[in-house]
Amino acid sequence: MSVKEKSLRQQQDQSVAVRSIIKQFYIYVVLVLIVLAFSVVKLPQVSLFGRGSFLSLDSIINLLRTAVPILTLSGAFTLLMISNNIDLSVGSAMSLSAVVFAWLILNGFAFLPAFVLTLILGVAMGGLNGFFVMKLRITPVIATLVTLNLFKGIALLIVPDGVSAIKSSAAQAMPGWINDYARKEVLLGLPWAFWVAVVVIIGLIIVQRKTLLGKYAAAIGGNRTAAELSGINAVKYAWVLYTIVGFFAAMAGMARASYMSLGDPLSGDGMELDCIIAVLLGGTAFSGGEGSVAKTIVGALIIACVTVGLMTVIPAYWQVVAKGSVLVAAVVLNHLLVREKVKA
Amino acid sequence: METKLVQKPLIGGRLSDESFMTLFMIGVLVIVFGIACLAVPNFYKPQNMINLITNNWFIVVLGIGVTFLLITGNFDMSVGGNIALTGVLSVYFCQGANVSQNVLANGLGLPYVIAIGLALLCAMGIGAVNAFFIAHLKVPSIIVTLGTMMLARGAAQVITQGAQRNTSLPDAFGVLGNLGIPGTSIKLAVLVMIALIIAGFIFEKKTVFGRRIYLIGANPEAARLSGINVERYLTALFILSGLLAGITGVLLASEYKSGMSSRAMGYEFDALVISLLGGVSIAGGFGSVLGMFVGAIILSVVTSSATGLLLSPDWQFTLKGIVTFLAILAQRFALDKRKA
Repeated sequence: MSVKEKSLRQQQDQSVAVRSIIKQFYIYVVLVLIVLAFSVVKLPQVSLFGRGSFLSLDSIINLLRTAVPILTLSGAFTLLMISNNIDLSVGSAMSLSAVVFAWLILNGFAFLPAFVLTLILGVAMGGLNGFFVMKLRITPVIATLVTLNLFKGIALLIVPDGVSAIKSSAAQAMPGWINDYARKEVLLGLPWAFWVAVVVIIGLIIVQRKTLLGKYAAAIGGNRTAAELSGINAVKYAWVLYTIVGFFAAMAGMARASYMSLGDPLSGDGMELDCIIAVLLGGTAFSGGEGSVAKTIVGALIIACVTVGLMTVIPAYWQVVAKGSVLVAAVVLNHLLVREKVKA
Repeated sequence: METKLVQKPLIGGRLSDESFMTLFMIGVLVIVFGIACLAVPNFYKPQNMINLITNNWFIVVLGIGVTFLLITGNFDMSVGGNIALTGVLSVYFCQGANVSQNVLANGLGLPYVIAIGLALLCAMGIGAVNAFFIAHLKVPSIIVTLGTMMLARGAAQVITQGAQRNTSLPDAFGVLGNLGIPGTSIKLAVLVMIALIIAGFIFEKKTVFGRRIYLIGANPEAARLSGINVERYLTALFILSGLLAGITGVLLASEYKSGMSSRAMGYEFDALVISLLGGVSIAGGFGSVLGMFVGAIILSVVTSSATGLLLSPDWQFTLKGIVTFLAILAQRFALDKRKA
């Protein structure tokens, strides 16, 4: 090997190394940049950590509290996407859970029974998705679009005609403690729902890295036929993943219902897109096979920052276009950073 | 004897699977319609039957583009947002310039024809963006088109500031959408729908382009290897779907003489539902525009009889979900039986 070739080789190795470093850390850089941007944009009016600033303690706590649903849900969603499946019904599943949870509490259930019953509903919804996709072999997108409408329709049917959500009325008062779960401070100024989400995240990171379910999800997503030939029961494991997603969608829905003290049948709309954005920002490949729960959570934080931060600087009608742009940006970033590695 | 057997299909005796499916769905339609006639008063009246076909023209027009894309195994969820954006843009371009203090009453003051042309160009532009990401960068269509759906609807919201634009429009603006055959309830838009269905039918059965769509759907790799430029075909189809959404958006904006940012919410799902009801399968190069049209009538029979039975509008989502699910299962069952 000549000297020239050698140096060329080294250069190539270096560029591959640089790329893998970029791939490893870009998401943290993006998060920091976005936080910086939102903190600086109002500098003339407020000091950096002062009242009203993006970095003030109140604002950070508020941001983390509103981010609870996506933090709870996006980890499980990552595992599902790693297995090359998708669940577009998560938003509606969230709405239906929120409505059912609020309805149970309005009708005199205590917190724990209502919580458990709604989680069972979540398992049922996720199981139904898994049944459609894995047993009846309907394409994931179509099956979950159908259940999206099914769940949303049921949520709308539960809410009585003439009102927009399950909430206090002249006849029945919603107990005040419904928002203890997502608003009452228990530790470091943050509520139960947030700490539950943290536990969920840690649990799912362990599931992805240390358990068979995590490995099998990647194997099924990478090459389903090969996975099945090597003895993995793809139907069973993907079904389990759908069920897990349904379970956490219910948990996210309850956090939302508790936060707003009502069960809004449209409260989960658009959650599927938020989840997809978070997962793509986190570098999970479109076609499954590889990905990281931890990075998705960083992606989820980015979305939360953008959503909350934009509210303070631009009118509400810019929100949709902003989120759409973030999705397209996530797609491009993902394409640039994840695709290359597949080629090499 | 044996040569005869081989030649038979060449002479054209056997029914194709697509025609079989369309006939099957027509049978389903007759049954559903019969039940609706028994359950809902006045359902059988001719005027009602005409309404069933004409009221949902916009979904059918969208369905043509969506069907072709679905045959190739791609989704287009951006059509609803595209309608809203095109409608809003056509209004914005047409509104008089500097006529009022109100921002929402001021537009660019272009002549109507140019306004429409530009709006349609934007609609095709969205299709082109979809095509770039899907055909060129190989990103799954569902993710890209959900993104462009948000971009299009978001842009419509920005232009209308979350509301609608409907003032200081020239009289010419409202003509196109309200033109119709005198003495009937049939509008120009319905004629457009019929023309497009016929064109779509000829396109899919008789043109090389149309036949190749099926090959791409059945096996994109084989299609590529046999010399078909898959990227170019997908690009053309996405631009076509954008154009159809644009035509719908312009006609709807003209009909109501307003550009509303929330118009056509959920139409992308309806277009998908009628394609699925009509037997289009995304699993591989299967489906037809006629089947889609039959699916549209089935859906409109189901939803309008639900309204006739005084169910609350909230039932719509659940009904659509259940009907689609049953249709998918029924079609799979019918095809399996036929092949066995």
